[in-house]
Amino acid sequence: MLQAIDLVKRYGPVLALDGFSLSVAAGEIVGLVGHNGAGKTTFVEIVSYLIRQDGGHVTVDGRPPSASRGRVGVAPQHIALYPSVTVREHLNLFGKLAGLRRAALDSAVEELTVALRLGAFIDRRTAGLSGGQQRRVQAATALINRPGLLLLDEPTAGADLETREAMLDVVKQRAGDGAAIVYTTHYLPELVELQATIAVARNGKIIARGTYDELVDGLPGEVRLIHDNEEEVRVSTTQPAATLIDLLGRAERPISTIEVHNPSLDDLYRSLAVSDAS
Amino acid sequence: MLLDTGHRAGPAAALRESLYRIRALANNNTLIRLRDPGQTISYVVMPMVLMLVLKPLYVRAVEGGTTKVVTGLLVMFSVFAISIAGNAILAERTWKTWDRLRVSRAPAAELLIGKTLPIYLVMIAQQTILLVYGCLVIGLPVPGNVPLVLGSILIWAFTLLAIGALLAAIVRSHGELSVIADVGALTLSSLGGALVPLSLMPEWAQVAAQLSPGYWALKMLQAAVVGDTAGTMLPAAILLGIALVCGAFAIRRLTRGWGRGGLL
Repeated sequence: MLQAIDLVKRYGPVLALDGFSLSVAAGEIVGLVGHNGAGKTTFVEIVSYLIRQDGGHVTVDGRPPSASRGRVGVAPQHIALYPSVTVREHLNLFGKLAGLRRAALDSAVEELTVALRLGAFIDRRTAGLSGGQQRRVQAATALINRPGLLLLDEPTAGADLETREAMLDVVKQRAGDGAAIVYTTHYLPELVELQATIAVARNGKIIARGTYDELVDGLPGEVRLIHDNEEEVRVSTTQPAATLIDLLGRAERPISTIEVHNPSLDDLYRSLAVSDAS
Repeated sequence: MLLDTGHRAGPAAALRESLYRIRALANNNTLIRLRDPGQTISYVVMPMVLMLVLKPLYVRAVEGGTTKVVTGLLVMFSVFAISIAGNAILAERTWKTWDRLRVSRAPAAELLIGKTLPIYLVMIAQQTILLVYGCLVIGLPVPGNVPLVLGSILIWAFTLLAIGALLAAIVRSHGELSVIADVGALTLSSLGGALVPLSLMPEWAQVAAQLSPGYWALKMLQAAVVGDTAGTMLPAAILLGIALVCGAFAIRRLTRGWGRGGLL
C-alpha cells in the first residue's frame, strides 16, 4: 500500500530525511519510532503531499502522493481543529470533503462517535474540549471515510487513558479491516499492544525494522541484587531470568532487593546510539 | 475499505462533486463568521454613527456633501474590513487547519473559493447595508442605476478581499496583520479622500491620493451612485487590476501552504 524508497528532504542546511525507506502493506500497522528530529513528521508530510521530497520515490497504492489525496487519512501531531466549530460539524466537514453523501456520512459519524467515545461532547465546540477529547476528534476526522492508508502522527501524545484505549481499539479494528497504518509515537508499549511492526528512525533514515521481540532479541538486560549488608551485585545479561535464578542459587547472604530489567526499545535506542557514535 | 462516496466519472459528476465540497467549505466558514461577528458588526455600526455626526460638516464644506459623507465613510470602513478577510485566512494558519484541508480531496481552487466566498459576501453585505442606510437615513439620493452601483460594490469588495488575502499570505501573526491592516487602511482611505474631501486636502496629498485604492473606489462609487457609467469604468478597471495582482500573489502563496511546501 505504501512504498517509500530513499527519500531525501533538506530544510536549508538541515538534512531531515537521508535515504528514508519504508513500506507498509495493507492491514499492517507500522509503528514509527525515533527521537525528536529523526524525520518522522517530515515523512508523514511527504506522504500527505504537504511537502515534496528532494529525492527518492513514494507511492500510495501505486500512485504518487499528488494522485492519492482523499485516500490518505492524516491525523497530524499538533491539534488542528476549528475552535468555534462543534465535533459533529467537524466530522460533517471532513466527511463531505472526502465526498461522503448523507447516508454514508451519517453512518460514518455514528460509527466513529461510538468507537472513539465522542457521544458526550459531539455537539460541543472543540475549543471547550480537553486535550484528550480533541485528540479523539482529530483522529475521527482522519478516519471518517475509511482511507486505505492512515498516517497517525503521535495520536495519543498527552492523552488520557480513555483516549489511548479508544484510539488503540480503533487502530486495531481499521488494520483488521485492511487499512495500512503508520503510527508514530514515543509510547513504545502502545506498539507492543498493537502488535505493530516497529521501524526505528534515526537521523533521517530507518535503521532497524522488525517485531518488538526481534528488535530486542540479543540486547542485554540487567539483574541487580542487594544483600542485607548493602552489598550490590549487578550483572548485564541477555538472559535476565536465567541469570537471576543462577545468582539466587549462589547467594550466600540474605537478599533485601531484587531488580530485573528486561531489554526494551529504549535499550535498542541506546545501543544504536553507541554504535552510531563509534 | 474506502467508503463509497458516490463519486462517478464524467465532467458533470466532477462538477457536482466540486460544488458539493465548495458548499461544505463555505458552510463551515460561514459558521465561523457567524459565531464571531464582533468585528463585522463594529465595521457596520461605526460608519453609521459617523455618517450621522459628520453629515452637517460635509454638507457645509463641499458640494454634494451627502454623497461624499456616505461614500467616503463606506469606503473607509470597507477598507478596515480588509482585516476581516486577513484574519479569517490567517486563522487557518494559526489553527493549523489549512494543511488539514490541503490533505483532503478538495483541490486548491476549491479550498480558496470555499474560504473566501463567505468573506466576500460579508464585505458585499457591509457595503450594501451602508449604502441603503445612506439612502434611508442620511438622505443620499436613491441611485438611478442600481446594477451599476451593485457592480461597483462587487468590484470593490473583490479588491478588498484580494488585498486582505495578500496580507494574510505574507504576515506572520495576527498582531502584524492588525498593525498593517489598521494603519494601512486609515492611510489609504484617508489619503484617498474617504475621511476628508479630497478638494480640502493639500496639493501633494491630492496627487498622492491616486496611488491609493481608496481613491479609485471613491471615484467609482461616487460616479456609480449618480449613474455615471463612463466615469465608473476607469476606476473599476484599475481596481480590478490591483485585485488580480494581489489575488494572484496570495493564491500562489496559500496554495503552497504559505510557501512551506513548494507544491500543490
